[in-house]
Amino acid sequence: MKVPRWKKAEFEEIEYEPKSIRELLKEMKNISELIVDLAYSAILFNSKEIAEEVRYLEVRMDKLNYDIRITAMLAARNTEDAEKMAGILQIAQASNTISNAAGDMVKLLAYKLNHPILPHLIKESDEIIRKMSIDEKSSAVNKTISELRISSETGVRILAIRRKSRWIYAPKGSVVLKKGDILICIGPEEGMNQLRELLKGKIEVLE
Amino acid sequence: MSEKEAEELLLELKEKAELMVDLAYSSVLYDNKEIAEEVYELEDFVDALNEELQKLAIKDVKSGELELNEGLAIIQLGSCSEAIADAARDIADVELRDVELHPVLRESIMEADEVFVRVRVAEDSVLTDKSIGEVKLASKTGMWIIAIKRNGKWIYDPNKYMKIMEGDVLFCKGTREGMEHFIALAKGEEKEI
Repeated sequence: MKVPRWKKAEFEEIEYEPKSIRELLKEMKNISELIVDLAYSAILFNSKEIAEEVRYLEVRMDKLNYDIRITAMLAARNTEDAEKMAGILQIAQASNTISNAAGDMVKLLAYKLNHPILPHLIKESDEIIRKMSIDEKSSAVNKTISELRISSETGVRILAIRRKSRWIYAPKGSVVLKKGDILICIGPEEGMNQLRELLKGKIEVLE
Repeated sequence: MSEKEAEELLLELKEKAELMVDLAYSSVLYDNKEIAEEVYELEDFVDALNEELQKLAIKDVKSGELELNEGLAIIQLGSCSEAIADAARDIADVELRDVELHPVLRESIMEADEVFVRVRVAEDSVLTDKSIGEVKLASKTGMWIIAIKRNGKWIYDPNKYMKIMEGDVLFCKGTREGMEHFIALAKGEEKEI
């Protein structure tokens, strides 16, 4: 059995990397919003692959929470500094709590229920959620999202992009797609299939 | 059918929890205690909703309408939403306690992927006297209103029928791309929605 990505990262040794508090907090805030969105989507669409992304983000958040504590302690030189840092750490901790709650939510998908947890809500939606990667031969490589006219041609919305271990949440139209990017998309099935063909390099343009 | 009822309750819990997180961040960003207090009040409301949901799930399991695991899943989903709401309260707590805020805190909230905006609606704005649904604010600008301050009173999480009025202070959240366009619309500098 393949070991999921989040499991590999779960107990990585915490090593101090100099990073600014601002960058750390920014990433934590971004993750705390993305992860809630993804967790509810995973439940609603009964999607194990999205659940796996949630677990991965949760692990990343745990690491960031250690990093920000280390950085905050190193940055405080006096009582006044320490007081200001306390506010920052409180918010960092809250982001971490949010991501843990999201992680707990997707664990429910392992219950092996006979039908989705929220059967009525899912019926009312004709959208699906998918995780797709960009093949190097795809014409989408090095193009921006708006250039490809993804939302107008397919009705698909990109919730997030994972690029190596970085995340881009609610990407703007000006974001350039790279080979190997993982796109998490939500939209009608037909549009989704069309987009998949483009990302695999089977079609050149969306129309 | 109460199973459907449970789902609707869950959906409301989710929406309220997310609203609380948004409000909590903007209370810190704008150093605004009134918004932070609203987060506290919403937290009580979320607790009550969750309790209602739990009772409903237990009742449905008892009557055989839900299987044990299904009922448990619904209860746990409710608790997770409540945990998110609690985290939002912890963020608002920083604002209420007068902890002196580090400038980095505001910078990181402002620079994050999703942005918060506060803007006053001008008399000659195209938004004035229109409902939120009418101007299709969210789909046209990518910004949505989380709270309105009108004549000293607050309206939280306004629905699409809510009319935008001159002098309203809108607290919004959305994408960085839509932000400038939205601000120009509210100030009356841009007429094309």
